Amino acid sequence: MIQVQNLSVRYDETTILHDVSFNVAAGESFALVGESGSGKSTILKALARQVKPSSGAVQIGVDPQEGADRLTLARQAQMVFQDPYGSLHPRRTVDDALIEPLVVHRLPDRDQKVLDMLDAVGLPRRFRFRLPHQLSGGQRQRVAIARALMLDPPVLLLDEPTSALDVSVQAEILNLLKSLHEEKNLTFLLVTHDLPVASFLCDRLAILKSGRILELADVATLRTGNFASEYGRELFQRSVG
Amino acid sequence: MSLLSIENLRVTFPSDHGPVEVVRGLSFDLGLERLGIVGESGSGKSMTGRAIMGLIPPPGHVSADRLEFDGIDLRNLSEADMRQMRGARMSMVLQDPKFSLNPVIRIGEQIEEAMTVHSACDPGERRQRMLDALRAVRIDNPERVAKLYPHEVSGGMGQRVMIAMMVVMEPALMIADEPTSALDVSVRGQVLHILGDLVQRRGMGLILISHDLNMVARWCDRILVMFQGKIVEELGSGELYKARHPYTRGLVASLPRIDEDRTRLPVLDRGAL
Amino acid sequence: MTVRHYLLSDDPETRMQARLGRTYRLARALARNPLAMVGLVIILMLLIVAALAPLLAPFSPIEGELANRLQPPSATHWMGTDELGRDILSRVIYGARITLMIVLLVAVISAPLGLMIGTVAAYFGGWIDRVLMGLTDIFLSLPRLILALAFVAALGPGIENAVIAIAITAWPVYARIARAEVLTFRNAEFLDAVRMQGASSLRVIALHVVPLCLSSTIVRVTLDMAGIILTAAGLGFLGLGAQPPLPEWGAMISRGRSFILDQWWVATMPGFAIVIVSLGFCLFGDGLRDVLDPKQRSRG
Repeated sequence: MIQVQNLSVRYDETTILHDVSFNVAAGESFALVGESGSGKSTILKALARQVKPSSGAVQIGVDPQEGADRLTLARQAQMVFQDPYGSLHPRRTVDDALIEPLVVHRLPDRDQKVLDMLDAVGLPRRFRFRLPHQLSGGQRQRVAIARALMLDPPVLLLDEPTSALDVSVQAEILNLLKSLHEEKNLTFLLVTHDLPVASFLCDRLAILKSGRILELADVATLRTGNFASEYGRELFQRSVG
Repeated sequence: MSLLSIENLRVTFPSDHGPVEVVRGLSFDLGLERLGIVGESGSGKSMTGRAIMGLIPPPGHVSADRLEFDGIDLRNLSEADMRQMRGARMSMVLQDPKFSLNPVIRIGEQIEEAMTVHSACDPGERRQRMLDALRAVRIDNPERVAKLYPHEVSGGMGQRVMIAMMVVMEPALMIADEPTSALDVSVRGQVLHILGDLVQRRGMGLILISHDLNMVARWCDRILVMFQGKIVEELGSGELYKARHPYTRGLVASLPRIDEDRTRLPVLDRGAL
Repeated sequence: MTVRHYLLSDDPETRMQARLGRTYRLARALARNPLAMVGLVIILMLLIVAALAPLLAPFSPIEGELANRLQPPSATHWMGTDELGRDILSRVIYGARITLMIVLLVAVISAPLGLMIGTVAAYFGGWIDRVLMGLTDIFLSLPRLILALAFVAALGPGIENAVIAIAITAWPVYARIARAEVLTFRNAEFLDAVRMQGASSLRVIALHVVPLCLSSTIVRVTLDMAGIILTAAGLGFLGLGAQPPLPEWGAMISRGRSFILDQWWVATMPGFAIVIVSLGFCLFGDGLRDVLDPKQRSRG
């Protein structure tokens, strides 16, 4: 479903990603794990077309990416951002945020779809006309997830979706993501620095450091810490110790 | 006698719906130890730190039956007196050095500023103490770093600079409000180590405010868990497993583990709290 | 449910309720500021006086009795008479219409223009930004009065040309403000999100970027009103704006110059009017800024 081939991203003099390659199958949940500066967010941005690859290719779905217009791309993959306080327009109600993609793509049944989506992400319907500043961090993140799902994309790109949330709220959002993943058979590409989150949500992962993939592993390896790379073991130790 | 003695601390803010109490009757004592205050957003933990430092701006209102630092009653001190205390006898380390360091003043000058305000040493002595402070936070090349601007150093180093700024006058009390949240996971350990070192060598009392339950439980001598403005539990170091209050237990249970095998994480039942 | 409850509800049930609620909260916050309320009263008075001028003015603003010239303020002529025997109070009242017209026209022309240019420049960046800002700089550097003179030389004196001259030199400020504002959130994730949904640049700018600049622009316009009034008065003073016998306040001051020592009221009365109206806009604009942009609030 997602193919990244020899992706390199350079900005001025610095190389952020060196020749990164990996694949994610349809319905799989894949984690990109690393610290800040590892380039993991840049991979998401390349997939979201916010950043242009300097060399290599990224592809989502079976359609070729080259020349695809933004409306088609929008229906293939959507993103959930890290900061619940920055990812919602401060002057737009929840309803506005959820209806926007439907309006852009001229889809029908807008009111009904909004109500259904509020139910699906566990937001009470009475929040429909609230502004972001009237919502808690967890509620905003639910809106962000709802917004990402309005167009029914098969792929969801998640950039540290819970790291800015309180502990008790994080569990709710993680549960929600897991349920949605199962119910809608979504493909997840999750960026995180938090190994336990990857352990809960994902099937496979890649460990990144300084713009390179050091290791590809599955979740069983993550749970035991039996990484092949030393850096992987180091990350494991820090999570446990 | 404790370094800091607090009884029935209350912090109130007015709102459209009437006054809101964000800290509701907090009481605790602090000795020469590492005390952690853990809570989520809205628990009142940051407000507690600011109330102690006298940094709650109007229209917020602070009251307490007792708010004593080293025998001094903080409740009735004038702003001028509080200013004398801040930075000299009690200091606060904030979360993000990007925002807490002045971006247009060099690091060395910012650290020296505290001394200019609070003490009467001559420039030579000031510079020496500044360099010593930088060395105390494990900055190897203090002369070079002193000439840099805050944006020229990494987050971890910026935070260490912040700590240096706060210890240069050798305060007896330090409050660290989320000192590691803005830092990379790999750097957090270093900063905590430096704080612990300072507590030990200089005989300070430290209050560490954080939302990271695990970190605080592992590192502090004592932990206070706050929920909705009150302390709901007190635990010793490493004793998270002994937590008895449903809120603490709920928090611990809802954290994903590295060897996670649950299909769903248990969620805090707020109705029951 | 009372009206107040309806408006202050945390869970509005319709779009309309949410919007009304927001407006109500803003209005309440504004009402708590006594100086802003003073400013609002002054502005309202200007509007009322301008609207009801024919009813309020005791005499004609353009016809006077020469026998009555240069009379000091009295029971019949509250503000005295000018050099042609015209009642100054009536002229000031009718002059409010002219002032209001100038101020509104300038605002309506320059603010949207500046907003659009600044927003587009900041959103796209790169050469678009450079070109547009270069253009803005050129217009910023034009001295208002000299430009007005140039216009007069080209097109002849008159209010319309004064308005155009002022508007042309006023829009750059709004462009700069809008640009600065947009730069702060240009890379915000909520814009990334909307773009990812496939929205075109036009849609993003019009529906998502501009609404965030509106409050600072509105505040700036309100605060600028005072300056615009003074500039128009200045132009009038130089004989470049409203032409006689129109009772434009600045022109009235100019005429009154020659008599200022012995018949001070001819120049001073319109002067008071200008001061009071400018002050009103300033006070209201300040209050509006405190309410709409809390970050710039002055202490207390």
